[in-house]
Amino acid sequence: MSIFNFFRAAPRASAVQAKERLQIVMAHERAGRSGPDYLPMLQQELLAVIAKYVNIDENKVEVKLDRGGDCSTLEVNIELPAREQAKAAAATKPGDKPAGNDDAATKRPAGGAVGNAGGKKRI
Amino acid sequence: MSKIIVMTSGKGGVGKTTSSAAFATGLALRGFKTVVIDFDVGLRNLDLVMGCERRVVFDFINVINGEAKLNQALIKDKRIENLYILPTSQTRDKDALTREGVEKVLNELSKEFDYILCDSPAGIERGALMSLYFADHAIIVTNPEVSSVRDSDRILGVLNSRSRRAEQGLEPVTQQLLLTRYDPERVEKGEMLRVDDVLEILAIPLLGVIPESQAVLRASNVGMPVILDEASNAGLAYSDAVGRFLGEDIEHRFVTPQKKGLFSRLLRRSA
Repeated sequence: MSIFNFFRAAPRASAVQAKERLQIVMAHERAGRSGPDYLPMLQQELLAVIAKYVNIDENKVEVKLDRGGDCSTLEVNIELPAREQAKAAAATKPGDKPAGNDDAATKRPAGGAVGNAGGKKRI
Repeated sequence: MSKIIVMTSGKGGVGKTTSSAAFATGLALRGFKTVVIDFDVGLRNLDLVMGCERRVVFDFINVINGEAKLNQALIKDKRIENLYILPTSQTRDKDALTREGVEKVLNELSKEFDYILCDSPAGIERGALMSLYFADHAIIVTNPEVSSVRDSDRILGVLNSRSRRAEQGLEPVTQQLLLTRYDPERVEKGEMLRVDDVLEILAIPLLGVIPESQAVLRASNVGMPVILDEASNAGLAYSDAVGRFLGEDIEHRFVTPQKKGLFSRLLRRSA
């Protein structure tokens, strides 16, 4: 053991890390276990409605349920294509968009409730 | 009315069979007529740990299939009065366990026995589900280690949703934690989860802490339940756990490092 080790902060005990990791992963798993199983259906139906009006990429949709002590939030994040690209996409085949539209797309911040699905940006 | 206990864990290799053998023996030692059933169809091992492997003629699956009478399959322990073993099949697979078949055997056993202890296989498939389905009490065997704790939590979820008591809306299966292979010295060094950490995460009452002990391997080598090794910490810890299960108030031992005196250092006696 070098004398320098004496001054170095003691490494965090591995047991502490074990506990923290367990607490996080298990909180997640428990929520999933008691969570409603309608989420996949809900996601599909929401998508169908939105897709009627907006051209969206199915891979850029995220539905999340956070169960808190007092209230739970349902969070729906949908990445909308930019206006020009939406037009272009509408003209061509849906879903057949050019690459690199991420920068122009409107990404909704997290933390919204159900009504979050509509973008601020007019399309 | 007999009580059905399941020894379960989710994860394999944490000490379910060792604990089943010890616990069943402990209950019998206290005068309760006890049978321990091996549910690990295809991977039978309870017979070896109990030291009755050469006396197996018929098994649990034979009884389920009506190929043998229950009395023919039950093996009476040669050391302990009141203790019986129901071994499982080594050649069939878990599909041989039907809910009706298991129920029929358990019903028949419950006429005769005070305690029926079901030794669950690892996993959450058929064998494990059948072993816990009819349980009144569950003993969750856990090692102070991340994968074991996570799997124990998973099995608790299964108990709360897929046991008979859960399905029929009866009073839930009681759940108690048996923390095995605990090494107080590694805990002191911060290398192992503490009892309190595991309890906080799993949030079930503590039945016992079994210290890591060389006596466990020695006992299984010779086919003797480790609880009969009264010189070992593990044996004493199991004995305490049985007492607590029966409602006695017994303080937990072997949870802090033992101070080694010069004499024991010289002798290097293993626990």
